[in-house]
Amino acid sequence: MTAVIAASNLSKWYGNVLGLNDVSLEIEAGITGLLGPNGAGKSTFMKLITGQMKPAIGTVTVRGIKTWNNPGVFREIGFCPEQDVFYDELTGWQFLTGLLRFYGYAKSEIRDRADRALDIVDLSKDKDRLIRGYSRGMRQRIKFAQAIAHDPGILILDEPLSGLDPLGKRKLIRLVKEFKSQGRTVLVSSHVLPEIEALTSRIVLIHQGKILAQGDIPFIRELIEAHPHQISVRSSEPRTLAARFVGDPSIQKMTFGPDGRTLIVETHKRDDFFGRLTGVVLEAGIEVEEITSPDDNLQAVFEYLVGK
Amino acid sequence: MATVREKGYSHWDGRLSERRFPWWPITRTGIQLAFRKKRFKFIFAGAFIPSFVCLAGLYISERLEDFKTFLRGSDRLLNINPKYFATFFTNEALLFLIVLVLAIGAGGLIADDLKHSSLQLYFSRPLRKTDYLLGKMSVIAFFVLILTAVPGLILIVFKLIFAGSFKFLLQYPWLPLSVLGYAALLTVFLAFYVMLLSALSKNSRYVVILIFGAYIFSNVLYGILQSIFRTPYMALFSIPANLQQAGAFLFGQTPPHNVPAIWSFAVLAAFCVLSAVVLGRKIRSVEVIK
Amino acid sequence: MTAAASFRQVLGFFAFLGRKTGKTRVFAILGLMPVALAVIVRVVLHGRAGLMAAVFTDILMVFFLQFYIVILALFYGTSVTAEEVENRTLSYLLTRPLPKPAIVLGKYAAYTLLMFAMVSLSLALSYFIMNAARLTDPALYLTFLGYLGVLGLGILAYTAFFTFLGTLLKRAIIVGLVFGFGWENVIQYFPGSTQRFSVVHYLKSLLPYRPMSGGGKGVALLLFRLEPTAPLAAVLMLAVITAALLALACWIFRTKEYLTED
Repeated sequence: MTAVIAASNLSKWYGNVLGLNDVSLEIEAGITGLLGPNGAGKSTFMKLITGQMKPAIGTVTVRGIKTWNNPGVFREIGFCPEQDVFYDELTGWQFLTGLLRFYGYAKSEIRDRADRALDIVDLSKDKDRLIRGYSRGMRQRIKFAQAIAHDPGILILDEPLSGLDPLGKRKLIRLVKEFKSQGRTVLVSSHVLPEIEALTSRIVLIHQGKILAQGDIPFIRELIEAHPHQISVRSSEPRTLAARFVGDPSIQKMTFGPDGRTLIVETHKRDDFFGRLTGVVLEAGIEVEEITSPDDNLQAVFEYLVGK
Repeated sequence: MATVREKGYSHWDGRLSERRFPWWPITRTGIQLAFRKKRFKFIFAGAFIPSFVCLAGLYISERLEDFKTFLRGSDRLLNINPKYFATFFTNEALLFLIVLVLAIGAGGLIADDLKHSSLQLYFSRPLRKTDYLLGKMSVIAFFVLILTAVPGLILIVFKLIFAGSFKFLLQYPWLPLSVLGYAALLTVFLAFYVMLLSALSKNSRYVVILIFGAYIFSNVLYGILQSIFRTPYMALFSIPANLQQAGAFLFGQTPPHNVPAIWSFAVLAAFCVLSAVVLGRKIRSVEVIK
Repeated sequence: MTAAASFRQVLGFFAFLGRKTGKTRVFAILGLMPVALAVIVRVVLHGRAGLMAAVFTDILMVFFLQFYIVILALFYGTSVTAEEVENRTLSYLLTRPLPKPAIVLGKYAAYTLLMFAMVSLSLALSYFIMNAARLTDPALYLTFLGYLGVLGLGILAYTAFFTFLGTLLKRAIIVGLVFGFGWENVIQYFPGSTQRFSVVHYLKSLLPYRPMSGGGKGVALLLFRLEPTAPLAAVLMLAVITAALLALACWIFRTKEYLTED
């Protein structure tokens, strides 16, 4: 399959800070999730793709065309920025139709497209209200509407689900999937794995400006599974608890917390450990005060991958 | 029974004591932020030029014999008396520079808080509206006093040093009070002036234009009205003219415009009252979106 | 879409947007000050046409030429780029099929039209109120058009300069203030060719030269030392200044990256 978006040795500096580090990547049709913690380089990468920034080294093309200073390419691209900013003096309708003017459509076509986009994001009833008076979720939806109103073949969505309630998220996820089914290309960024998981099985992991991993969700899950999990158990008898688990082959490491009441366990088989823990606690009559998983987050996965 | 704890949060068991000056952190931050702006330091340094010119005049006045060939007939110009100090304090260049410094360094004091919806953050702390306003005004007070009272008092000291005697101070013992009085007047008025305009918009670029524009506009208006009505009372429309009137009064000099100085004091006071009323209404912890 | 069509669409969008902002209302109200003055002058100087003409020239020079159009141009000119960067709305424009110069020129044109409308209304009302007794005199209208033309050229030139500053500098407002109210005022007092390094010199060269009116202090000094340039040369210079600065602004906007504070 030919790449829709292609980056080759792409790097970007902000002064002395390296925003993107030698990224070479091809994104094909369908939905691709760009996953990374805050400050990983997701927005930088998206701004380079959308021609808002110029690569310091390397190239980035959309359907073989460089995007920097090439406005024609934006007929095909719809961009939904991360920032919650608008022309506040405008209503939703004025905002959409105003931006649609820039594509050279006739007035009737602008009206039809705006109507359609507002209908898709369920904002038709509120189109004549000032954007300034919209809720966070409505603002996110009008942002999405301006990205799709001109029927782009490629959608670049920078954290589109941030600020949305669960219902709003579901709606947007459904919309994005509909786009994919129409044969379009969607690149969506997030720092929340379950959000990306709901959208696509194809993920690119980015961290500190570098592509860490690229592949399907199962592949990422395997990476996570390979990464030993930390579980912290605070109880009245941490050493008794430790003695019960010391022979367990799935336990890689055990340490005690500085308060003397916490047992920190590293294991590859988290679910098995929880299962055994319940039994051990009941059997030994140990009072457990707290169970937490300090590294059960994407940051820990990334740290693990970086370490790897 | 196990206690429920929020992950990552723990209570601090120490005793909370109330700050004596709750507005001080606001002032300190405001001054630090002003100095972080690139061009501000340059303009702030430039605002001291009138003080150095005045200092040079003081020096030359004590060395007139040496400078006689350059300054033939100008020994009247360098007659150091309260009028000399009044001229320094009320000259348009110094006022212009102070307004420029404030426009750039203090224009965003309230505007930036409005832009970033920070008022809620302030008032969710044990901070009253007066503490907030006092903190912000103290930033303005810092800049105005450092450009007026501080050089003014230092100039008096230098005069005594250059003259080698206390004769000047014995002749005009009230002069330091005049310096402090005028500096205080300038501080209060400019604090209310800048704060009012800063509270009118979230856009600090627009506020800079407002601060500068209103100052210049008042002078333009005075010029035009003066050419129509040809009465000195039109000077009451001009901010710098009112400040000059008040300054001349405080230094015991004849006001530059043939208008009783009390009128200028009244205009300046009325503006401060208006500003206080508007600020009281504008500074709210809750933003109402219509 | 062609570059010309892009320019037209950007102009239309920002002309609409500019009309809606509160700041435009404030500037429009400011422009009513000469109208109020004109009414006052009519009452105070009723019948004394010569004096009214003298007062109007003072109003024109001091208020319109050296304050109003400068402050308008400073705000709107720097806004061409600065407001998009400050408000972080630049991405909405850069991710449309719009050539970058069309964005600059379209916004410039939109704001220039807006400013010209405000200035025209203010000038027309104040001028015709003050000259209400001479409305049948065709020369009156020619003079008005002359004044309007000068202010229009001033708007074009100043806005071009501040647009250029706005594309180049992050905090263009400071440099703009120093230029507009510092340099432009001070340079006029310099003799010889130094005056030609200002926009206001060429604008004043297009106005009828008058010795000091003996009015208010601020007004009297303004015409001191004017060594006017020939009118045609002045118009040409203003056109060249406008075109050159706009071209520079377009080039800078095209090549520069604008990083928003995320």
